[in-house]
Amino acid sequence: MGKNKIEWVKIPLSRRQMLKSTAAFSAVMASSSFSNAWAQSGSTLRGRTYADMRSLDPAFSQGVSDEEIHACIYNKLIQFKPGSKWEWQLDAAADIEQVDTTHIKFALKDNIGFTNGFGAMTAEDVKFSFERVADEKMESPNKPDMDALSHVEVTGEREGVIVLKSPFQPLWTISLPYITGNIVSKKAFESVGGRIDTEVVATSGPYTHFSWEPKQKTTLRANPDWKGEKVAFDEVQIFHIDDEKTAEIAFEAGELDFTRVSLASLERLKANPPSNSTVEGFPSLYYVWVGMNLNNPKLSNLKLRQAIQHAIDVPSILEAAYFGVAEASTGIIAPGLIGNRASNKVPSEANIEKARQLLKESGESNVSLRISILNKQANVTTAQIVQANLAAIGISLEIDLHEAATFWELGGNENLELVINRYSMTPDPYYATSWFICEQAGVWNWEGHCNEEFDRIHKEGPGELDVGKRNAMYQRAQDIMEESGAYKFITHEYTPNIYRNSIKPALRPDGLPLYRYFQRS
Amino acid sequence: MIMKQNNELQLIIKHFFRNILGVAGFLIVMLMVLSAIFADFIVPYDPIALNIKERLQGPSFSHLLGTDQLGRDIFSRMVMGSRVALQVALPTVFGAVSIGFVLGMIAGFGPKWLDNAIILLLDTLRSFPTVMFALAVVALVGPSLETVIFIIIVTSIPTYGRVVRTQTLSIKSSEFILAEKSMGSSTARILLVHILPNIFGPIAVLSAMEIPTIIGLEAGLSFLGMGVRPPTPSWGSLLNEGYTLIRNTPWLLIAGGVPLIITTLGFTFLGETLRDAVDPKLRKRN
Repeated sequence: MGKNKIEWVKIPLSRRQMLKSTAAFSAVMASSSFSNAWAQSGSTLRGRTYADMRSLDPAFSQGVSDEEIHACIYNKLIQFKPGSKWEWQLDAAADIEQVDTTHIKFALKDNIGFTNGFGAMTAEDVKFSFERVADEKMESPNKPDMDALSHVEVTGEREGVIVLKSPFQPLWTISLPYITGNIVSKKAFESVGGRIDTEVVATSGPYTHFSWEPKQKTTLRANPDWKGEKVAFDEVQIFHIDDEKTAEIAFEAGELDFTRVSLASLERLKANPPSNSTVEGFPSLYYVWVGMNLNNPKLSNLKLRQAIQHAIDVPSILEAAYFGVAEASTGIIAPGLIGNRASNKVPSEANIEKARQLLKESGESNVSLRISILNKQANVTTAQIVQANLAAIGISLEIDLHEAATFWELGGNENLELVINRYSMTPDPYYATSWFICEQAGVWNWEGHCNEEFDRIHKEGPGELDVGKRNAMYQRAQDIMEESGAYKFITHEYTPNIYRNSIKPALRPDGLPLYRYFQRS
Repeated sequence: MIMKQNNELQLIIKHFFRNILGVAGFLIVMLMVLSAIFADFIVPYDPIALNIKERLQGPSFSHLLGTDQLGRDIFSRMVMGSRVALQVALPTVFGAVSIGFVLGMIAGFGPKWLDNAIILLLDTLRSFPTVMFALAVVALVGPSLETVIFIIIVTSIPTYGRVVRTQTLSIKSSEFILAEKSMGSSTARILLVHILPNIFGPIAVLSAMEIPTIIGLEAGLSFLGMGVRPPTPSWGSLLNEGYTLIRNTPWLLIAGGVPLIITTLGFTFLGETLRDAVDPKLRKRN
């Protein structure tokens, strides 16, 4: 952790030198067969995103689709390490160390700079980037991930200390390696009023943001000033293709090098993959469940809710809606993460006898309910199985299909009865429990679940440094959810990807791409 | 007078059955209607009974068109889909024609200001893009068979209303209507006894030709998830499931698409032939 003056020098290239070099390079390329071979061998990486880019400002990132781009054009102190385990690796930080429960000391590498003449990356940039997300005035939707931040102390030009208000373990699994960890240029952002939208002002990553064609694609180009490990591609194109079937066809037509494919196609693609391609599956972090609204008088009877829990047959759902490739979940926290439970309190398999007994004990008869679902095939299939399962114990269930716009408004609807829901997840249990606390009732907590012990675990969990204790706390949190009778956990889904053998993808353990680390094979 | 009417009917029937396409259309429509009525006796399996172990099977003697994602017999769902199509088409046509008749005749026979007001209403209804209108209604009341029928009735009224109005306007100045008026006949009598029977033929033909549009619309709404609720089988929902599994099995698409095409053709042939048979000018030309 030296205190050297940072030297960030742009490549000294005059206009004349530039023209000369370009001409010479073009001549070499044109006169040899190298040109064609190079182009064909894929100096452009073509990936796919399910949602269009919405912001280039990490404080206003809308999630995975934005982060796939941000991770390429910005640096963080630490990044997720590609592989099958949730680990991090150094990125902009040359060194990072947790001094005590609330202090994290860091030193930046001395070879990282911002584009467009905004100079070297300094500790001031780190302070600016983190504190602006935590600042209430900024109204960043990603503020919860930086909520524990008190401030960043700048101790040198490239050195500083992250000071937390209280111990916060998700700092290492969410805050620093994910969306809020992206470091932006203080000078650049201040020159445009403190925040940006979709116009880039300065970047520092191995790729630069070249263009964005709304609803079509985002193009990134290798950063010529990048001093880190050389990137494998001159250009990365990320196409916005919402539909997985369309993406599959695009892949088979040679228009994409990497994409997620649908579960329905997995078996076919595995048995007969397109030439020079590989199909791989990854356990996902998403969690899907059938929820019951505790605030609806129709579902106020615990025994009735338990009868429903025991009547739903998850293996049938996995077979029909997830093509037998996804595993049953034991809660909201996926395997591999702290807090994952080995088994459920209510088994995944239906127990019709027990369900009938519970229904009888509930004293309810002629029960007629309604399940609300987002209009996606997996949900429609799941709902029909749940309908058949409940019919087996004498409960009639009507299926209400909703478009996205109306579905996501249902959270505050008191008349909501049953619902099939699916939330995304980051690799820390704190993120999962945050949606089911009392404060979230009617917002993201559609079941209206409110439990003091659960809220206490959610509050204390992030500060628990003992991994074993933390594990037990989150396991207990899921027990509480299940005991409320408001949840039947279904699955964490599965992420099948297909890629050309000419590339070597770098993926998170849940199969999401880290494009900056993609290689050519 | 009765003899003249009988002769006209005989001419229409004779002309109709001389047209091969018309006969084909008639047979297709009859087949569809009969399969819808007797669906319960035709289907080999309960179309909504799940059998996950037998999911996504190809055609066989036990399952003529294979099984879907939930192991349901596709052939049974296809046959039951014809019932849903008819359940939507018949009340829709009846509702839209009835309202269209009333509005069209009032507009055509009533005072100018009323005509303008009704035309404005019909044009306003017509200006709603059907899918956007359907989305709004479904968002408000949720998808169901009744919602589909309501949406299609509302969007079909202008078609019938405008045709009825035009026909009424052309008949209203006929000599026999003027004679009725001069003899002191009431407006209701003129409308119901003289105008209605004279414009019924063209509207019947128009209805026959509108039925495939209505069936297509229902299938489209079900395809988008705005139609009948699952697990009710409809051709649109078969198409939707078929699209998801397009690379796994073609049979869902076939079961949803082929009857839709054949029924559309059947009603179109029937409607066109009826139109030619009913219109004396077209009858002469053919």
